[in-house]
Amino acid sequence: METKLLTEFYHLDEFRGLSGYKAKGGYAILAKALKMQPQQIIDEVKASGLRGRGGAGFPTGSKWGFLPKNNEPRYLLCNADEGEPGTFKDRLMMERAPHQLIEGMIISSYAISSKKSYIYIRGEYDFPYECLMQALEEAYKAGYLGKNILGSGFDHDMDVYRGAGAYICGEETGMISSLEGFKGQPKLKPPFPAVQGYLRKPTIVNNVETLAAVIPILRDGAQAYRKFGTEKSAGTKLFSLSGNVVKAGNYEVPLAYPLMDLINKEGGGLKPGRKLKAVIPGGSSAPVLTAEECTKATLDYECLAQMGSMLGSGAVIVIDDSQCMVDLLGVLMHFYHHESCGQCTPCREGTGWLNKITHSILEGRGRLQDIDLLLRVADNMKGRTICALSDAAALPVISFVSKFREEFEFFVREGRSKVKGTTYAEMHH
Amino acid sequence: MFELSSEGQKAVKKELTRYESKDSAIIPSLYIAQKENKGWVNSEVIKHLSLIMEIPESKITEVFKFYTMFNQKPVGKHHVQVCTNISCAVNGSRELAHHICKELGAKYDQVTKDGRFTVSKVECLGSCGTAPMMQVNDKYYENLTPESAMNILRGMK
Amino acid sequence: MPKCTINGKEIEVKAGATIMEAMYQMDEAIAHYCYHPGLSVAGVCRLCIVDIEGNPRPQIACNTAVTDGMKISNKSDKIREGVKWVLDFHLINHPLDCPICDQAGECGLQEQYMEFGKYDPEMAERKVKKHKVVDLGPTVVLDSERCILCSRCVRFTDEVSKTHELGIFNRGDRSEIGTAEGKELNNKYSLNTVDICPVGALTSKDFRFRQRVWYLKDSDTICNGCSTGCSVKVYFNKEGLFRVRPVVNPEVNGHWMCDEGRDIYKFVNRDIRLLKAKKKTNSGEWTELTAGAAAKEASGIAKSAGADVALVLTGQYTNEEYEKIVETFVKDFKSKKIYHWINNKEHLNDFDGLLIRGDKNPNTKGLIGVLESHSLTSPFSNLEADLKKGTVKTLVVAAPENFAVYLDLKEKLSLFTKAQNLIWLSSVKNSDLDDMNGNIWQIPMKSYIEKSGTFTNHAGLEQKFHKVTTVVSESLTLGEAAELLAGKNISVAVTPTRETFVEADRRADLVRLEHRKKNEFVYKRGSL
Repeated sequence: METKLLTEFYHLDEFRGLSGYKAKGGYAILAKALKMQPQQIIDEVKASGLRGRGGAGFPTGSKWGFLPKNNEPRYLLCNADEGEPGTFKDRLMMERAPHQLIEGMIISSYAISSKKSYIYIRGEYDFPYECLMQALEEAYKAGYLGKNILGSGFDHDMDVYRGAGAYICGEETGMISSLEGFKGQPKLKPPFPAVQGYLRKPTIVNNVETLAAVIPILRDGAQAYRKFGTEKSAGTKLFSLSGNVVKAGNYEVPLAYPLMDLINKEGGGLKPGRKLKAVIPGGSSAPVLTAEECTKATLDYECLAQMGSMLGSGAVIVIDDSQCMVDLLGVLMHFYHHESCGQCTPCREGTGWLNKITHSILEGRGRLQDIDLLLRVADNMKGRTICALSDAAALPVISFVSKFREEFEFFVREGRSKVKGTTYAEMHH
Repeated sequence: MFELSSEGQKAVKKELTRYESKDSAIIPSLYIAQKENKGWVNSEVIKHLSLIMEIPESKITEVFKFYTMFNQKPVGKHHVQVCTNISCAVNGSRELAHHICKELGAKYDQVTKDGRFTVSKVECLGSCGTAPMMQVNDKYYENLTPESAMNILRGMK
Repeated sequence: MPKCTINGKEIEVKAGATIMEAMYQMDEAIAHYCYHPGLSVAGVCRLCIVDIEGNPRPQIACNTAVTDGMKISNKSDKIREGVKWVLDFHLINHPLDCPICDQAGECGLQEQYMEFGKYDPEMAERKVKKHKVVDLGPTVVLDSERCILCSRCVRFTDEVSKTHELGIFNRGDRSEIGTAEGKELNNKYSLNTVDICPVGALTSKDFRFRQRVWYLKDSDTICNGCSTGCSVKVYFNKEGLFRVRPVVNPEVNGHWMCDEGRDIYKFVNRDIRLLKAKKKTNSGEWTELTAGAAAKEASGIAKSAGADVALVLTGQYTNEEYEKIVETFVKDFKSKKIYHWINNKEHLNDFDGLLIRGDKNPNTKGLIGVLESHSLTSPFSNLEADLKKGTVKTLVVAAPENFAVYLDLKEKLSLFTKAQNLIWLSSVKNSDLDDMNGNIWQIPMKSYIEKSGTFTNHAGLEQKFHKVTTVVSESLTLGEAAELLAGKNISVAVTPTRETFVEADRRADLVRLEHRKKNEFVYKRGSL
């Protein structure tokens, strides 16, 4: 059963514009927040247990607490790069409810005493960009942005920055580098962005959904938010359901919602005649779950972590029994090879190597030792790099190969797919 | 020698002061220049931008060659980008891309003889719920079938 | 000042120092490529991982600040395994160019491979192909396949030379170093990028394919290109000198040197040197004789001039030589006609902000100091006037070694030959004198590589350097020339140079370990 803390009015076209948004209570929470003390808002967000909704799941209130307690100008950056394969929830919000994001950002900026914020949106999201620019213009005209917002004495400016096609810009320091005008290459941590981020100033980077979630938290209170989900995974989340399901789309459900319910109830189940084979629960970087494991999975941070996977961005990719896992691993390896920024050696060379080995197996040139080699290369790419893209490339390899090893061995021995029966060349043409 | 129109130069000048630092204007300026240079960027464009923005050519080139949305070769009037990442792949997007190429008589990443189309296979476009899909220049076309895709494309002059 | 323990040894470091800096301070071995003490921290090679007690994850040493009481180690099996794999990632696309690569023998990959190498390359796929032999500019060649993308060269052109020519283009394993199209790597410090490149990706056009580095010995000295006096290392063998590289000197040149100084070895090799003394009278032919004999003959001429003998000095000789020759002239010849030949007066105080100065002589200050201590302050114009009048009987000139910076050389020569007798003390050949008339003696001098001495740089810093090797054995120092001219009997017998070890001469069946131990090059590879 969907719980629409955020998405209640997304079905109304007029919710996109300012008047339609205000008619449903828009910007009322901003007025309430501006009457509170910034620290009160941070405390409320901390108490709510809200965790970053972009992928890392870091407690938002704690992140805000890392900012230095001085007068240094600080920045709020909204991560709307949404590049994780399978994820398309932020796009929904920016197209259907741009004001919701803007209001959430103004409240959050007020809480962390930031005078300037940017929405970093991926370059391919042209229509969402137009929606945001339109909404910003409306917000400025109505006095929700600019000087002395609603007479509170709080000044704030917001702008949108378009990326140009790089998954790595979804990493917080990669995004900061890109915004600063450089290549989107992640920076060394320490120093952490909260201390030295954008232009060496304290910076908070939060996902679109995280910033918008501040609104229901302040509207109903932290304890009301905690009524959903579990102790460690509080609140609701937008899940992007895609792949071999009948009703793919974005669904807002409470955390700890059973995975199979999302697929069968909201998602309408699999196509007739097909059986579930595997599910990637949190975007392509999350280890895959077998159909058996899915029956025990609930969509919260702890359960999936315990099962060796992760909640990630909440992109649930459903794979049925018509798909060849070796082929799908090839798709993912091509992706990471294409997107590695190239700065540090294990990722730069490792993603290329993994891609080449996988495609050698697909093209019938695989050797039996290549399967273990995949595992060893992936294992040695983890934990040794500047950012987590290297780990994100390694985890699918390890999970696919460990859980579907017979398919790989079949491909090496026979030069064709166990599931599809054909060679790779014959597969998609 | 490439030169931006006066509106283009005005737009670039605006970007130079829009953000906290001048270098942030490189990406927006490359978009502006790419539009005026028929959809791609070459060394002449970079030389011109370097002159009017007063930023070293090597820095602009680094940004230019890092991001996929800046084209290093000429593209057709309609740049057809078919997502072939995982959610689209399990919904037949690679077969769709191949079908489009065959129907248009195109090879991947090359311009068709009549100059109208370039077909590319790209990574996740954030439209996984409406797979398979494609992006033509700035617009998304979703929930495609081979027939509906070709209908859309044939309608593009 | 925080104290930490590295591999069991305690060390105290400056506040804010990183573990890498502590490792450098105690000369502890740690594999690294992208870190360089003269550049900012990049942290991209990922080789310098260390274990820190209390931290489950290995950290990189170059970006981790030392805290008081930190216990660090990089000797555990886990770390060694990690370094082995990271090094392997560097090598999977690296071309097997060692047989044709200049860097062999001083290559970062080779060094670490001997220590951490996998020996069994499991990479069975096709390697990434990139551009080879890219002409980056007038002095540097790039080979992108060899490049390990440590970004040292890019950081150098951004932070040190501030010319921003280089960048890293493309993403992932398609990344390549390069310049923007149509631009070249051409600034006065370009060749430093070749020094700091840990592999053979950037090579010097001047040194390419000329000599294998294990056939070279090296020795520290001072550059004589200008009055900055950078500390340098020259590489040489029996055939002569091959290249010059900077040595770290925090007081004078930091980690760098300029490109002009790279050419100073060219004035020392035999092809440009004056090998034997020569003399001629009026428009006659040159006759050759030994340096000692020439000096003895010339001394007669000089002595007959008595106090009228004039001496011209250039700022390219050592303090000790100046002392000797000035003393000789003042005491033995009783002459006060000692002049300082200054070239490019207008640019004397130029400074480009980094290392290059307008005074292209290494020891102007030293010369001025010696002249002033003997109260010899007559201006050069006096000599010029005398020469024009024709009243100079004997003129002794200590010619510049680095004559390329003396643009007025030919003009001055025609002036000098107005003297009745010209005694030209020079280390390099001079073809201009062939066309000039008069009684001329040319006596070969030692280049500064072949003698020990002291230069005083622009800031008054006295820097002592030692003899590197002998290139022309018949040459004299200025001091010896002075004594001979004064008629003293000193021995200038040619002493045989110590036997230089040439690898090619070694008998294959003899394992001359002792000899190899004495060759410092085998043990102290060029530092990265």
